[in-house]
Amino acid sequence: MTDVTIEFRDVSKRYGTLVANDHLSLAIRKGELMTLLGPSGCGKTTALRCLTGYIRPDEGRIFIDGQDVTDVPTHQRELGMVFQNFALFPHMTVQDNVGFPLMIRNLSKAERAQRVAQALRLVRLEGYESHYPRQLSGGQQQRVGLARALVYRPKVLLLDEPLSNLDAKLREEMRFEIKEVVTRLEITAVYVTHDQAEALALSDRVAIMNRGRLEQVGTPEEIYEHPQSRFVAEFIGLSNFLEGYVQAVDGDTMVVSVGGLQMRIPVLAEAGPGQRVLLFLRPNEVELLRPDDPGGANVFDARVEKVTYLGDTLDYRLTFGQGLTLRVQSDAQRRFGQGAPVRLRFPRVRCWAITGN
Amino acid sequence: MRLARAYGRAMWDARLVLAYTLLLSLTLFILAPFLMIALRSVGKGWFGRLWLPPQLTLDWYRWAVEVGNIPEVMKNTLIIGVIAVAVSTVIGIFAGWAFGRRQMPGKEVLMAIILLPRMIPPITYALGVAQIFYTLELVDTYLGVALAHVSVCAPYAILVLSATFEGLDERVLEAAGVCGANTIKRFFYVVLPLIMPGILASMIFSFTHSYNEFTLTLLTYGPHTVTLPVRTYLAVGDGYWEITSAMAMLMVVPSLLILAVIQRRAKPEKLVGGFKGV
Amino acid sequence: MGTRTADMMRFWRTHASRLITLFLLLPALAGFFGLFFYPMLLTVILSFRPEGQAIGWTLENYTRFLADPDGRWVILLTFILSLGGTALSVLLSVPLALILREKVRGHRFYRLMVLVPLVVPGLIGALGLLLFWGTRGWFNLFLLQFVPFVQRPVAVNYTMHGLIMFYVWLYFPYTCITTLSSLESLDRSIEEAGEVSGATRWQVLRHIVLPLITPGILAGSVLTFMAAFGAFSVPLIAGGNYRPLAVEIYKQISVPIPARWSAASAIAIVMGVLQVIFLSLYMRFVRRAGGTGGPS
Ligand SMILES: Nc1ncnc2c1ncn2[C@@H]1O[C@H](COP(=O)(O)OP(=O)(O)O)[C@@H](O)[C@H]1O
Ligand SMILES: [Mg+2]
Repeated sequence: MTDVTIEFRDVSKRYGTLVANDHLSLAIRKGELMTLLGPSGCGKTTALRCLTGYIRPDEGRIFIDGQDVTDVPTHQRELGMVFQNFALFPHMTVQDNVGFPLMIRNLSKAERAQRVAQALRLVRLEGYESHYPRQLSGGQQQRVGLARALVYRPKVLLLDEPLSNLDAKLREEMRFEIKEVVTRLEITAVYVTHDQAEALALSDRVAIMNRGRLEQVGTPEEIYEHPQSRFVAEFIGLSNFLEGYVQAVDGDTMVVSVGGLQMRIPVLAEAGPGQRVLLFLRPNEVELLRPDDPGGANVFDARVEKVTYLGDTLDYRLTFGQGLTLRVQSDAQRRFGQGAPVRLRFPRVRCWAITGN
Repeated sequence: MRLARAYGRAMWDARLVLAYTLLLSLTLFILAPFLMIALRSVGKGWFGRLWLPPQLTLDWYRWAVEVGNIPEVMKNTLIIGVIAVAVSTVIGIFAGWAFGRRQMPGKEVLMAIILLPRMIPPITYALGVAQIFYTLELVDTYLGVALAHVSVCAPYAILVLSATFEGLDERVLEAAGVCGANTIKRFFYVVLPLIMPGILASMIFSFTHSYNEFTLTLLTYGPHTVTLPVRTYLAVGDGYWEITSAMAMLMVVPSLLILAVIQRRAKPEKLVGGFKGV
Repeated sequence: MGTRTADMMRFWRTHASRLITLFLLLPALAGFFGLFFYPMLLTVILSFRPEGQAIGWTLENYTRFLADPDGRWVILLTFILSLGGTALSVLLSVPLALILREKVRGHRFYRLMVLVPLVVPGLIGALGLLLFWGTRGWFNLFLLQFVPFVQRPVAVNYTMHGLIMFYVWLYFPYTCITTLSSLESLDRSIEEAGEVSGATRWQVLRHIVLPLITPGILAGSVLTFMAAFGAFSVPLIAGGNYRPLAVEIYKQISVPIPARWSAASAIAIVMGVLQVIFLSLYMRFVRRAGGTGGPS
């Protein structure tokens, strides 16, 4: 536990009857970039504000560097934060904006100027010292925000949807810039976003939130490949869901009956025979074969209901088994027309079962 | 320094107490005068160091109605108010549409000039208005007093309505046009509902200003056009505080009704009518 | 005949838009000229006429008023009252707006309180204030009964500080409402950013909130100042011997017989000019103060 920088311990926050944070427990390691990911309104900002102390949780404690900070006022928590709407001080120049945290800490003028210059160099904004925020573009403003958050070398950097107000191209650029700065400074960072692509690209680990609760915490690979709930699977990328039940367990493989068909998939620890499960498949991980290709395990006959041309891929809606439908995306090299018979192959390790909900 | 910080922290800890102290003092400061008027209007034999009147009576109200002629005065005030509001609203709609939705050279300057009366103390042009009205024999007529009020009310109407019309979304009108509505239908079904709140606000504010107008009224009223503020002034001059209080109570009721309407339907900033560009 | 109609049609077609605009502005222009510009012009002319005459020109009305120490005192008094009232209004409004922004319990009611002086006729407010702060009012009753060492009633009515306080009662809502609306248009996350950066609430208030709402406060205080400078009804009944310009003007036409319209007009012009000069200086100051601040 020594390398834990931030810990939420059973944190809850309610607004009237609305539960914005529901018994949140989360540990963030030193130097890690942790993303809080979830649809808007799921309580990400609330969680971040509990961390900054801007709001006080109704229940639970918050630790930073092993110290209980639940009752420490915001300004003593030594955090840096970047805001969705930049939240720059409109009446101050870039120099004064970035220098504000240093001024508050009573640093000398010379040292302030030196540190501000350093921070501005870090975000590649030298030469803009005397501009006012309204004279800068969105991307530049957000870099000022980043510089302001980093200038006094806080313990933790918080970013609340920092790229949401930028246009798509800039967003991609800034994404890597932020990642680079954070890695270079080896700072612990909590990054809030509702954009799953952003989360997967940036994070060391991702925490997925839904309606105030944590759904799953894991590396981007774990989250993407082995979602533990339907919500997570649906939220990250496209997915197919097939309902079935476990017929037999055989070593590291279990046989699941789906719509009269048998599928062999990796075993799920808590699943025994008879257990209802939800099979989950990414549309681009199902292989499409010709009807005359050889059969085998996890190979089924299907029929194309509908094809949509998406440029680099084709999007198929297929039916197979007893009334099962499936969405498959495959590259445009091998094409099937509407009504054509095809064969599907589900790679064993690419099928993943979810129990419960 | 440390003392200052400790003091600051103590103030911060006591912030709720301080806040409510300020709010309660404010309430007392604002409402106490009305409480005193109310008590005075129903009290009898209230002399010396007494917190409350020893006897209650409604006589002063009877006096106010009979001698003070309050129903008549109320009627005058309403008629004058309605005329003033109507004229100001027409001026406001026309000019507001021009300022809010039409191109013209020197718009800002023209608007500043037309709104100039708000920057000049009313008494300065009230003198001229009174003289003109004497010559035109408009003094002591409803129309005359109402027109004098227009000089105060119209700038507010213009201000509120240009903002309303300016805020009207061009695309909504376009959408209505695309849906096949002709100009008249478009006006009644789309434009009117959108601008109605602004027009209502402008009318309420104009009425408030007319209802409270004193300076111009004092210089243009006559025996047949005594309004409520003038009546109060005359009563204060007569020195019967009890009867004056009773009159004041009767006059305050419509103001409070207006207040309720404003609270419910309009932004109070508009009543104040800030300057553009400040 | 035919060509003339055609000419008119062509004229109409090329200038239709301008003509419509002009038509729309016509009522406002008529009102402006009939009820403001022409009256002002008459007042200006009258102020240069010898008293009671319709011909001739003189500066005597001005020189008499401005040379008279009493006249200069009236001007000074008007500024003392209106600036004092404005300053106190700002001092009251800023903390009040900061509290009302927080949606404290009952904030709707308190917001309503702020509006009361705006919608109630000023004379009624003045009447109530005179009753409350008078020697027999509750204020003095409280002092005499509950505060030790107060033996005699404290004079508030008909004193200068009393009048300034009445001005605050009447005119502070302008400042308060404007300040409140500029506070409410502030983005809360800016303050959050300040706090996360290590600033205490006081520092956030001092370095961030106050600079950002200063233009709003000044704009509101302009409104309060204008209302206070032109105040007429309240000093008329509650001013006692303190007669600011507006009351002085009215006295000129109501007390002497025959009424001294030319003298009144001269004072009115002095008053109007003073207000315009002061306002333009103030506005320039406000612009300068607002130049660096204010959300873009
Ligand atoms: N101050 C507040 N008062 C009432 N409800 C709030 C407040 N702040 C947030 N909420 C509600 O709490 C929920 C979570 O909000 P938030 O944490 O901002 O979501 P996110 O940042 O994930 O979009 C939302 O439903 C929101 O409406
Ligand atoms: Mg959020």
